[in-house]
Amino acid sequence: MLTASYSRPNGDRMCESCLKHGTAGKWYLNAEEYSNEIVEKYDLRDFLMEQYLNFEQMSVRKVNGVNAVGLGYKLQMPLIGKVVKHLAENVLHSQNPPKNPLVAEGHIGQVIPLDDAIAILETCAVEPIILKNCMCRYMSRGIKEACCINFGVMSDIVDKLPRFIPDDDKYFVTRKQAVECFTKFNKRGYIGSIWYAPFPYINNLCSCANPECAGIRPRVDFGMKSIYKAEYIIETQQDNCNGCKKCVAMCQFNAITYNLTMKKVVVDREKCFGCGACTHACKDEALYLRPRDEVPQFKER
Amino acid sequence: MAKKTKIDVDHSVCGGGNKVDPRDCCKCLQICEPAIFLLHQTVGAEEEDPYDPQLWSVTALWLSLCTRCMKCVDACPEGAIRVS
Ligand code: SF4
Ligand code: SF4
Ligand code: SF4
Ligand code: SF4
Ligand code: SF4
Repeated sequence: MLTASYSRPNGDRMCESCLKHGTAGKWYLNAEEYSNEIVEKYDLRDFLMEQYLNFEQMSVRKVNGVNAVGLGYKLQMPLIGKVVKHLAENVLHSQNPPKNPLVAEGHIGQVIPLDDAIAILETCAVEPIILKNCMCRYMSRGIKEACCINFGVMSDIVDKLPRFIPDDDKYFVTRKQAVECFTKFNKRGYIGSIWYAPFPYINNLCSCANPECAGIRPRVDFGMKSIYKAEYIIETQQDNCNGCKKCVAMCQFNAITYNLTMKKVVVDREKCFGCGACTHACKDEALYLRPRDEVPQFKER
Repeated sequence: MAKKTKIDVDHSVCGGGNKVDPRDCCKCLQICEPAIFLLHQTVGAEEEDPYDPQLWSVTALWLSLCTRCMKCVDACPEGAIRVS
């Protein structure tokens, strides 16, 4: 039912980087979907403003009599659980013109490794580019960390909302600074992710943490397709592994474990989201990313 | 099905402009390993200043993932959290 079938409104105008490397199913390397024209065409400016004014209330406010408090329990209920999951996925995956800013309509993302994020920042993202405080981390831990990157119209909206503005007064950044910032967080082990918010407008490049990220949690804990796995998956070159365990702590999906007998790590590829964080830790080239399509048994995103 | 966990935060003490502003405390948010709690604008107070809301509350959101470790109950300086 909900496999990755992204329709592209005007699919042929790709970014330079796609033209060079081919898009290979990478919906996020499509310049059209970052454009201000798409904002105007779908009349998203007011929608986004309204949504971000009340952003942190989205899960506790009742829409049609329900909210997300105790979502896990609602999902466990026979029948009702199925209906709730189906409704929630339909909202997240909506490809209709968004109507209700109080729910996360058409808000669907995918994990991306560093190289793809750099390609986005260098060629697809629309200026102005802004660093904003990660909302998920603020809502779940009360901690402000300026690791979310927004583009275009979204940057103007965020700039009007003080709680999202980093303390550092230089939060409008160049492409180069955005790349540096994203790289810094990625190497620290955060999960790169790119989001439609809402479909078909891409305006959010995130550096997420689990369990703090409200987009990743429904997938990891409740099996809902709130975010897709990356177009990549990890591959191990076990002979090169010296058992240093540095990669273990980098994986926020708990996919890597150290095996005492072999004195090497093993990766549970079923759990791997393809974020590439572990590869930053490995100095011995024992871990690398390869296209997910090349590994048929794990091709589901 | 296992018994459901219920977590009440006493909103007459914490949040909504009462004794504690949760943004200055955040102890429950930070001590909880599975990050069950949500810091959000107080519902119903959004008219005050929608661009820069000053009234915030804490609600336990991801109830089914609570491990009942009770750390939040111990950490809350106001004794405002009840896990049952
Ligand atoms: S999606 Fe990720 S970076 Fe963006 S706000 Fe949520 S956790 Fe933060
Ligand atoms: S094993 Fe997969 S999910 Fe874990 S850090 Fe490596 S690439 Fe990311
Ligand atoms: S970081 Fe590399 S060498 Fe170290 S345990 Fe992980 S895979 Fe092995
Ligand atoms: S009892 Fe433990 S797991 Fe449950 S909400 Fe409190 S701190 Fe979190
Ligand atoms: S620990 Fe207690 S006082 Fe502090 S934010 Fe949480 S509920 Fe409020």
